[in-house]
Amino acid sequence: MSSDQNPQKQEPAPGSETQAYAKFAGAPLTVNTINNSWSTPKADVPVLISEDIVISQPAKILNFLRKQRYNADYELSAKQGADTLAYIALLEEKLLPALLHTFWVEAENYCSVTKPWFASRIPFPLSLYLPGKMSREALNRILLTRGGPPLYSLTEVEAQIYRDAKECLNLLSKRLGTSQFFFGNTPTTLDAFVFGFLAPVYKVCFPRVQLQEHLKQLTNLCRFCDDILTCYFKLTVTGHSPSGQDTADANLQKLTQLVNKESNLIEKMDDNLRKSPQHPPRKITTLKLAAGGEESSPLNRLSP
Amino acid sequence: AEPWPENAALYQQLKEDQILLSDNAASLAVQAFLQMCNLPVRVVCRANAEYMSPSGKVPFIHVGNQVVSELGPIVQFVKAKGHSLSDGLDEVQKAEMKAYMELVNNMLLTAELYLQWCDDVTVEEITHPRYGSPYPWPLNRILSYQKQWEIRRKMKAIGWAGKSLEQVLEDVDQCCQALSQRLGTQPYFFNKQPTELDALVFGHLFTILTTQLITDELSEKVKNYGNLTAFCRRIEQQYFEGHDKDSSATASARYAKRSLLR
Repeated sequence: MSSDQNPQKQEPAPGSETQAYAKFAGAPLTVNTINNSWSTPKADVPVLISEDIVISQPAKILNFLRKQRYNADYELSAKQGADTLAYIALLEEKLLPALLHTFWVEAENYCSVTKPWFASRIPFPLSLYLPGKMSREALNRILLTRGGPPLYSLTEVEAQIYRDAKECLNLLSKRLGTSQFFFGNTPTTLDAFVFGFLAPVYKVCFPRVQLQEHLKQLTNLCRFCDDILTCYFKLTVTGHSPSGQDTADANLQKLTQLVNKESNLIEKMDDNLRKSPQHPPRKITTLKLAAGGEESSPLNRLSP
Repeated sequence: AEPWPENAALYQQLKEDQILLSDNAASLAVQAFLQMCNLPVRVVCRANAEYMSPSGKVPFIHVGNQVVSELGPIVQFVKAKGHSLSDGLDEVQKAEMKAYMELVNNMLLTAELYLQWCDDVTVEEITHPRYGSPYPWPLNRILSYQKQWEIRRKMKAIGWAGKSLEQVLEDVDQCCQALSQRLGTQPYFFNKQPTELDALVFGHLFTILTTQLITDELSEKVKNYGNLTAFCRRIEQQYFEGHDKDSSATASARYAKRSLLR
């Protein structure tokens, strides 16, 4: 099986949770980083390709892995399985809008981190178009799902979604308590999903970091992410790309190397950004918590 | 805080002709919640309830001089007045309750909206005639199309537009399975006492079970789980029977599709 994925976690939810789940369940997974989002059906990443079957979307990929008997949830009771579904719904409803906002809509984050990072990895001329498209889709999704009355301006919507996200993080922290994983001592689907959502917030260095700051105060969630990163995504010092390994039992080794490379990218991103030309600081009034900034946000947003 | 007044009112669309599946579910959930809190409220049906609501969604309650819409804010409002169903829960249980409420909103409510507004047969035969029924032509068509366009945009944004009806029904099944497994053999989700989660689940499941649509596929999915139907019956008996004849619960059982004259 191979999983195609954009080489960095610019999509906060997909990708990392699929890989995390695969690692938990012991499924042999080759992670191929792709440079062209359009080569996947409907530009949807991550995509799992097993023999002839192509599956996109994390939930379906997890179902597929389960049917192939790579099941990290084997030990769970029926009630715990139901809890998994409920918590995943909570993550999607309460945490995802704020994540999308942090990565794709918040102007300073988008311009100084997400767009250059993303654009540096996909070929010209897609790099001019795709980041902007994803940014617009993210904003669209946020406004359509959360933007009705009585919230009438973008700043009010933003305030609400961050409030919801922080509450969601608090709930997760209470649920996790002092255990190592959400259901005892072995990780399951829920752990994979939570990790997939939290790890980008935790690790990526953004200029505007209110969600990250809140997360860092919840020490058990940080410990949870660190545990998974060190146990399942071993970080190595060098990330040299694997030369063609065709031996049958080199799958796991290849997997480890490719995943390490991906994890290293997160760490190296800081370096790359410091070396690349910086955008001049922009005076965008929405970023200051001043009253009456309603109209300025859409006007000041940069188009790619 | 002021005490709960006697003349509190809950507003929704017209029961017999206008209200749709998802709105009926929401309204029933709020009614169940208020009954569980022992707070009297009378149900008022108005064709323009949606437009009166501060958030554009029904139901909304008019209490004293305040107007609050949707279950979430209503629960908060009632809590501020000193009534709460979930005070006895510990932190982990509260987190679980909120998660399950999101599950119902995420899957059940979205599936209901999909069925109502994205399934062409249902739209044509049930939704459009009902939604615009209080208004003359061409206003009825215009309003229906406008609403349909709005809902379809939202479905597209969250990725449900590409789903087929079978996939949506499968999601409903998955959700019901999760609810059934969580409920188990207990009378309520958090054992002895009902909470807002029970009210929400009741609102949706009872409406699905008693609403007649083009096919019975949706209600069959719920009927597969005996403990869920028993749960609905239990709450209906405890909180809705013995009230006046046209309480929303029993009235929705008379919801009939309009194309019988074909």
